[in-house]
Amino acid sequence: MTAINSKLSTGKKDVSLFLQKLWEPFSVSPMLGWLIGVLIAVLLEYTVGLYVARMLGLPKIPVLFGVLIMLETPILFPSAVLYVLIIFIIPIALIARFTAPLTNTLAGKLIDVQPWLAVLVHLGLFYAALHLWAEINDYRVLVVRLTLISIILTLSLNVVNGYMGEFSCSHPGFMALGAYGASVFTLFLFVDDRTFGEALLPAQLGFLMFPLGLVFGGAIAALGALIIAIPSFRTRGDYLAIISLAFMFIVKSLIENLEFVGGPRGLGGQPDWANLPTVFAWTVICIWVTNNFVKSTFGKALNAVRDDEVAADAMTVNTRQTKMVAFLFAAFWAGVAGGLFAHVLRYVNPGSFGLQKLAEILAMLYFGGLNSVVGSIVGAVSFNLVSEALRPLEILKWIIIPVIFILVMIFRPTGLIAFTELNVINIIRPKNKAAVPQNVEVSQ
Amino acid sequence: MRKVSISLLVMLLFAIGLSACGAAAPGASTNTIKIGINAPLTGDIPKVGEGTKYAAEMWLEDIDAAGGLEVGGEKYDVELVIEDNEAKAESATAVTTKLISQDEILVMVGPQSSKQAVPAGEVANNQKTPMVSPWSTNPNTTLDRPFVFRTPFLDPFQGPVLANFATEEFGFTKAAVLYDVASDYPKGLAEFFKSGWEELHGEGSVVAYESFTTNDTDFSAQLTKIKDSGAEFLFAPQYYNEVALIVQQARELGWEGPILGSDSWGSAELMSLCGDACKGLFFSTHYAAAGATGATKEFIDRYNEKYGYVPDDVGALTWDTMLLIQKAIQDCGTITGDIAQDRQCVRDAMAQIKDFEGITGSMTFTEEGDPVKCAVIVKISDAGEFEFYKQVCPE
Repeated sequence: MTAINSKLSTGKKDVSLFLQKLWEPFSVSPMLGWLIGVLIAVLLEYTVGLYVARMLGLPKIPVLFGVLIMLETPILFPSAVLYVLIIFIIPIALIARFTAPLTNTLAGKLIDVQPWLAVLVHLGLFYAALHLWAEINDYRVLVVRLTLISIILTLSLNVVNGYMGEFSCSHPGFMALGAYGASVFTLFLFVDDRTFGEALLPAQLGFLMFPLGLVFGGAIAALGALIIAIPSFRTRGDYLAIISLAFMFIVKSLIENLEFVGGPRGLGGQPDWANLPTVFAWTVICIWVTNNFVKSTFGKALNAVRDDEVAADAMTVNTRQTKMVAFLFAAFWAGVAGGLFAHVLRYVNPGSFGLQKLAEILAMLYFGGLNSVVGSIVGAVSFNLVSEALRPLEILKWIIIPVIFILVMIFRPTGLIAFTELNVINIIRPKNKAAVPQNVEVSQ
Repeated sequence: MRKVSISLLVMLLFAIGLSACGAAAPGASTNTIKIGINAPLTGDIPKVGEGTKYAAEMWLEDIDAAGGLEVGGEKYDVELVIEDNEAKAESATAVTTKLISQDEILVMVGPQSSKQAVPAGEVANNQKTPMVSPWSTNPNTTLDRPFVFRTPFLDPFQGPVLANFATEEFGFTKAAVLYDVASDYPKGLAEFFKSGWEELHGEGSVVAYESFTTNDTDFSAQLTKIKDSGAEFLFAPQYYNEVALIVQQARELGWEGPILGSDSWGSAELMSLCGDACKGLFFSTHYAAAGATGATKEFIDRYNEKYGYVPDDVGALTWDTMLLIQKAIQDCGTITGDIAQDRQCVRDAMAQIKDFEGITGSMTFTEEGDPVKCAVIVKISDAGEFEFYKQVCPE
């Protein structure tokens, strides 16, 4: 028994040693290098991708790195792997490795000039790569947009369920309020439609005003949150969960009975304004604001409330106000996500915001990890990708996904990446040996 | 380090070898026609997705047995790309986009429920791909969308049909309606029935118009009101699981009058849930399984033999949808291989179809892509079978 155990553990060690060795040459590459690599790889796909795919016997460019092919036509899977290797992994690795000296200097200089400038440059590179990558296929664009919206949702729920430590179930309700709020705003003002009659303002103005519509949707969601927060914050734990669950059903019934927004028939015909750049921009703003929010004094107060409300109160934290603000903040972002969701699908109906949606959001949150901005992003992205990839399995998919969740809960009870802070400068700083000690000193 | 590089190299070679096999395997040939099936195989209504899938696979068997689909004198292989939309609106949209842009299908069948068909229709229409929904009855699915069609009749037709039937058959003048206010289909149908009934018998002839919410199981309050209202019959445009509860509870409360239903009653499950209480009741639907003749009987028997149960209306409607698509493709005449051109051609051919004889009746498409077709009134026999009673056609 012990022999097997030791063998197993050496096997494990071998793998991690191997991975470590594999990673070693790349540890000097900064994020800038990786992003340039990704951008070039995407350009490569854009120009010669189809040609390479055809040479490998693939009918088309593998749409999500071959994860769809894996289950649909397994015989083509090796070709897809090879394709990903040729177009993505090898070029990215080579560029990241061999431009490291250059990109390290560049990254260092950028941060020295202005940290926010450096962040913007990185974001710009990332977006350029994402846009080019998605451009190839409409399916990619849609998956990316839905995934980004999931990120906003998961992140906003993390503020309540993670940082505040309550279990709220009303997120689909807030999302519905935001979706209907933003839809009514755009349909009423800018679109000639059957429900609200003629547009009041020219449609050209509409796209510029779209952010206002999303904020309006978010505000309505926050108003809903205020209504539920006043009575329910007298309770904690399970009771809050039940009240918030009830709120979700109330919102759903309310919309079903409101004739002017279409009732159960739903509301359609939203203009196609939630394109990729818009959704991306909102996601970035959401990540930035939420990250600052949870790292601020306020965020720490929130954590104090989570850990021990009485103690936090004794330490002069205004617990009621803290909880209220955090709850409204989360509801606002859920509302924005709902508004984007409505304009991506260009149709909403109350049936979309039920228990199934709640289960999905909760799954993404707990899969990624509580109390962590990175965790929420990882959770939302991986859940969406796995969900798309396993679609061909039909009913088996709903056995495999729960099994994955149970495994995650057993081996990492707090989720994949929990209780970590997102430090943007740390991610984009130069990784060469000369720079490391310097930066450590600076941060200390 | 050397070991690592060697193992990497071996893996790479292995992958190349395998990919050579892959390349040799039959890829997408130009002689294949791809038809996408966008169905809720998991989620709230898996039985509906299953009915669609089975009917489509049965159709494919026929095509394969004939050696392919003959278009303009040439035989084409047909491939069904079946995707699960989880009964969610966003998944239905994602699946539609994937089928159109990735799998390059010629025509899409589905999605079924309106909450998915409305947003999916938007995508299909924008991408200029013909889509035929075999189940959605929401007018918005096809409205202003030249590329979107459907095979079931619409609620604005079915509501008045039932109103006429109750008037002519029983001579009733006072009606009661019980419906689910939170669900798209029953609510719409209840409204159309009400307006149709009031047109015949004047304002206030619907003496009780009661509602409940999805997943309610106790209807005694509403049923007592209906009983006291003096209504002569009850109209309940509900799904089969709720129908069983409503009928049983109405009988327990002493309601004697007939209960009328809509096409959502037409499921094999109804009789096992409802039992004797439902015998002798009427509902309108797309086709009658018991006592069917000709092609309808042939389809039912084949389906029953293969999958072990009598197909629901969604199965029959999908079967008609598949035949309709087949006819549209054949009418189109040539498959050029230019997918955009072929889709346009199939769409145009579909809009031209007149008096198509399907197992759920004869169909002609309106400009909106909705069929003009007859409804069937079915009586539930004492043996628990859905017997053909009467056919009602639009004037």
